[in-house]
Amino acid sequence: MIRVSSVLVVTRHAPYGTSLSRAALDTVLAAAAFDRPPTLLFLGDGVLQLLPDQDAAAVGTRSHGRVLESLPLYDVNTLFVDSAALAQYGISRAQLPAGATVLEDQGISQLMSEHDHILGF
Amino acid sequence: MVLHTLNGSPSQPAFAQCLRVLGADDALLLLGDGVYSVMPGSEALSKLRASGAELFVLGPDALAAGLAGALPDDVRRVDYDGFVELSERFRRQQAWY
Repeated sequence: MIRVSSVLVVTRHAPYGTSLSRAALDTVLAAAAFDRPPTLLFLGDGVLQLLPDQDAAAVGTRSHGRVLESLPLYDVNTLFVDSAALAQYGISRAQLPAGATVLEDQGISQLMSEHDHILGF
Repeated sequence: MVLHTLNGSPSQPAFAQCLRVLGADDALLLLGDGVYSVMPGSEALSKLRASGAELFVLGPDALAAGLAGALPDDVRRVDYDGFVELSERFRRQQAWY
């Protein structure tokens, strides 16, 4: 039997300033569509993607938060979040989506070394 | 008396550079990823307050980011017309991005 390799997608940018955050999610959704749901890590400014109540209609684009909410439909249920970045921005854990796991630096390091591949955005 | 505009998030070099020169007579308008500088309880907000500058945030960008409902009292929200008014009020403008 062939072992399926594991993929960690690391997303490090805020949702609307660049298209990187959207590219990360597109990658996650594409992999999930082939039954290879990756692990998703929100690092640094990437945690800003998780803020509730995003309404991007005013800037003429789709709300990033809505796309994130659809992840469980694609069997992407493992979200990891950078603890230091949450502290930097004053984001409480109560604001995070259900099932998100908060990691300290050491946990992030371990998460990276546990996966076969890392894709950075 | 300078109007500063900041597009970068607090982890971008533009934030630190803007902070170095931001004075109490100045105004700072946050737009794009700059809106994340006024998140309640954040380190960035404390630093901006310490500058004494008037703080403004562009409404549509705050709305997109999910921050419109939780803006601090000392940060004024302006729309695009308000942006134009600010640019009329200040003779000089420095854009940080």
